[in-house]
Amino acid sequence: MNLDGTPVLDHGVLADLRAATGDDDAFVIELVEAYVTEGATNLEGILAAAAAGDPAAIVRPAHTLKSSSASLGAMRLAAICRAIEEAGREGRADSLGADADLVQETWGATLEAFSEAGLRG
Amino acid sequence: MNAGASVALVVDDSLVNRKLLARHLASLEIDAREASNGREALDALGADGSGVDIVLLDIEMPELDGYETLAAIKGDEALRHIPVIMISAVEELDSVVRCIEMGATDYLPKPFNPAILEARVRASLAGKRLHDLEVESAARQADLLKTIERQKDELSRFLSPQVAALVSSAEGEQLLAGHRRIATTMFCDLRGFTPFSEAAEPEEVLGVLREYHRAMGELIVEHGGTLEHFAGDGMMVFFNDPVLQEDHVERAVRMAIEMRNRFDVLAAEWATRGHDLGFGVGIATGYATLGRIGFEGRYDYGMVGTAVITAARLSSAAAPGQILLSPRTYAAVQGQFDVEELGELQLKGFSRPITPVNVLAARVPAAAAASAAGDVFAEGA
Repeated sequence: MNLDGTPVLDHGVLADLRAATGDDDAFVIELVEAYVTEGATNLEGILAAAAAGDPAAIVRPAHTLKSSSASLGAMRLAAICRAIEEAGREGRADSLGADADLVQETWGATLEAFSEAGLRG
Repeated sequence: MNAGASVALVVDDSLVNRKLLARHLASLEIDAREASNGREALDALGADGSGVDIVLLDIEMPELDGYETLAAIKGDEALRHIPVIMISAVEELDSVVRCIEMGATDYLPKPFNPAILEARVRASLAGKRLHDLEVESAARQADLLKTIERQKDELSRFLSPQVAALVSSAEGEQLLAGHRRIATTMFCDLRGFTPFSEAAEPEEVLGVLREYHRAMGELIVEHGGTLEHFAGDGMMVFFNDPVLQEDHVERAVRMAIEMRNRFDVLAAEWATRGHDLGFGVGIATGYATLGRIGFEGRYDYGMVGTAVITAARLSSAAAPGQILLSPRTYAAVQGQFDVEELGELQLKGFSRPITPVNVLAARVPAAAAASAAGDVFAEGA
């Protein structure tokens, strides 16, 4: 998986989001909060599917996390989830363990990046 | 919640996306309801759409995905008019094509661009409003048609069928306003009716009239006559208006002969109850003015002309069993009927006497006569 040049957090996406909501930071923070709560559930789903070696079960949580991540500019996590979703769809079980580790690591980096950006209340 | 605002149903498994879309929609003054999968979306729509004006639908979702949800909406008579905009990531564009083929109105790429969202949502809502208006106007039109049909039905009980049809036809107003046309008028009434109604019980008089009206009414309809009015035992029927009838003179004479035959049967029955009644007819042809006659609140479709008066006077002059034709009427059907000459007759109110004939019988049956029918007065005014 080549993640070179894919930022953990794309500040351009966040800037667009702020602009579109009339610089309503409270709303963006609320959105990030929802992302963290929902993302944690999806992450659990991905880890459980990987642990069970079940590529089919990994598709949904990876898809949802990809979607939410992309909306908030968490581009690296979105790219990883997209790759995992694809692998799951193709029934590839070989990379499940490594993927799970990468997701977990990037999830942590993403939350940190949101905190640094002052978007975690 | 805005009163009267449009309502969007946002269907996405991502809470972040739902919140974001709801926020964008709120800035467009559109109320958003949320569903996290297709199953919840169909529940929210219920049987009739539950007031939802537009659905924003994600493709990949647990439980029931976007395809299945779209198929369910578009396969439901009560929901299929609701526009569905697919929400899709750029890498899902192939899926979008499939959804549009399945009936989706448009698509919205992720991440959301507020300007694109606004343009697509507004366009779809405009389409939906147009559809709603069409449905509403079709329903109103159906109601209106039903009312018109009912009125027509109601009207046809009071008016002759031709006049009822005329009233509700496109050219009706023009014809009702008044027009001149050649027409044949027939008057008939009962001889001996006045002494009969004085002597008999009212129920008996009404019973006789009812039998007489029913029998004559059938013949009027059968021959396509327009019943202008009936008053007691008298009736006025005209032909060639409002519906043009090439053979209007012949129709009038044939109807009179059949009326006389029918009357004879009735009269024989009445005679057994001691009633002595006769039947007289007068027929005249000529130009007349036809249209709405009367005053605000009560109008009749009527006819004014010398021929009307002539027919009325001939009817009065007819002896029981006689069918008197004016010379002009007779000229139009000469050869088709056996008649007897009666010589000159001075009619009340006319300065000069006329020479009517009394019809005895038809020479040829109506069907055979049809092709040879005189076209002396073929066309009206």
